[in-house]
Amino acid sequence: MILFLLAVILPYIVPVFWVHVLTEILIMGLFAASFNMIFGYMGQLTFGHAAYYGVGAYTTGLLMVKANVPLLVCLPLSMLSAGLCAAVLGYFCVKLRGIYFAILTMAFGQLVYYIIFQWYTFTGGDNGLQGIVPPAFLGKAANPYYFFTLIVVAIGMIALWIISESPFGYTMRAIRDNAERTEFIGINIQRYMHLNFIIAAMFAGLAGALWGPFNRSVAPDLCNWQHSGMPVFMAVMGGPFNFLGPLIGSAIYTMLMAFVTSFTEYWPMVSGIVIIVVVLVMPGGLLGLLGDKLPFLRQNGSDTKETNG
Amino acid sequence: MDITSLFTQFLSGLTYGTILFLVAAGLSLIFGVMNILNFAHAALWLMGAYFSYTFWNLMQEHSFAFWLSIPLAGFAAAAVGWFLEVVLIKRIYKRELHEQLLITYSIALILSDTIKLTWGVTNKLIVRPEIIRKPVFIFGSPLDSYFILVILSGAAVAIGLWWFLKYTRYGHIVKAAVHSREMVGALGIPIPRIYTWVFTLGIFLAGFAGGIQAPIGSITLGMDNAIIIQAFCVVVIGGFGSLLGTLVGSLIVGEVFSFTILFWPDGAMVLIFVITAAILIVRPWGLFGTPMRT
Repeated sequence: MILFLLAVILPYIVPVFWVHVLTEILIMGLFAASFNMIFGYMGQLTFGHAAYYGVGAYTTGLLMVKANVPLLVCLPLSMLSAGLCAAVLGYFCVKLRGIYFAILTMAFGQLVYYIIFQWYTFTGGDNGLQGIVPPAFLGKAANPYYFFTLIVVAIGMIALWIISESPFGYTMRAIRDNAERTEFIGINIQRYMHLNFIIAAMFAGLAGALWGPFNRSVAPDLCNWQHSGMPVFMAVMGGPFNFLGPLIGSAIYTMLMAFVTSFTEYWPMVSGIVIIVVVLVMPGGLLGLLGDKLPFLRQNGSDTKETNG
Repeated sequence: MDITSLFTQFLSGLTYGTILFLVAAGLSLIFGVMNILNFAHAALWLMGAYFSYTFWNLMQEHSFAFWLSIPLAGFAAAAVGWFLEVVLIKRIYKRELHEQLLITYSIALILSDTIKLTWGVTNKLIVRPEIIRKPVFIFGSPLDSYFILVILSGAAVAIGLWWFLKYTRYGHIVKAAVHSREMVGALGIPIPRIYTWVFTLGIFLAGFAGGIQAPIGSITLGMDNAIIIQAFCVVVIGGFGSLLGTLVGSLIVGEVFSFTILFWPDGAMVLIFVITAAILIVRPWGLFGTPMRT
């Protein structure tokens, strides 16, 4: 709630550049939160989540550029298309666990990437799609699109929150903590994991859909494995065992990137060093670290899982 | 399509497969023994290519420069690999999967920028000696004579590795460690030291592969991004920790890529990922691997 109020007030205080950064934080935050449905709540590492983000981005991009479909219609359609992709690909992924799950999701992610990359006539190949303009009622300034993003992301986050706190969400935690036992009490874990995979992909698709009009273009790079690594890092940085962790991670990562890239082109090196320090020094992420040091900040004890690094 | 051009295509697929084999063999070894998926492998491969350029450049006036620069690139990369293992990788063997992936991924990012800082953004070109500049004709089909050298050196490395694993004491230890680290440790063999040397050996292979790759075309930044994913595909198809599997996997990927590009250029990479995904679904441990303990 405090975060939300802060998010409403901030754009009136900070310069335009930082409003763009804030918009990016929100979009990537939703992306990272959707990733965390699989990672934090289901306990599987996906290294191909950018594929669904990219499918969402391209659905909106193609619909807006080629068919002039209004953005508000595009958003649910992007969720649908990302969800459909996940329904097909996720069916195979959830049969595997651990490292094999990570590699298969990565292989599928690269599959989607190369299809988009090579299909010049439809997706524009490596040129991407240009000229995706936000609808007229949002104008050309940074602020209106920021507020639009804020509303959509807030709705998305609330939906994810409800899902993660529902019996379904607790079933996911049970699968994460002990898949065998969960199966013994009569739960079809593969079907639940598949469903969760689809839900996560749908919200990644929604985040992707917001990206196109924000950036005025989409490129195939949105789907490749490097882009899939970003939500992993954001979730780890913020704290995967806290619902808001990925959003916080996104805020830190994106602001750091905006700050560092303003004076050096060697952002990858800086980010690499930051990632190494974060992983070695605070395995539970920032919120995990705060939770350990200041117990009263812990939202609800059941949510934080012990990490034995 | 006549038979000669098919043969040419086959040989170029074989060359590409050889490079992939050299990269993937180290990747597979490191994964097989330590369970670490090394995202930084291809960055070290690229570093090897740049190292060989530097060595070649330094010794340019000598006739042996070209030949010496390739193994030296392997040793230089191995030194970097050894350093990384001792400083960083050592700390993450017992960590969780995502932490290991993030660390090796970060190392890849750092190395890529280090390469950019050290060697700049301009492409580097190694000029080959006279004898391997002209194409040779095999059954009437022209072939870059350097490709034959690539294939032969790949075969030599494969045989060398096979001999090492089969007939030397350290090879036996490595093979045993793929099956059960605990048991090897219980026999009193210093596991941490074995890990360091397995990692160094794997990176030596990567650097050597980089050195072999360098004279094929020019050396450019970002070459590593494509090859790391393909090397993963090779390792997945062949099976983690299996030398034979890596060999077969790299030949499959090399040839499939080389032939698909003739008939359906846009689909070559897509097809490789379809094959990889299919193997993962049907046989997650790969064609020649054994089901893993994790």
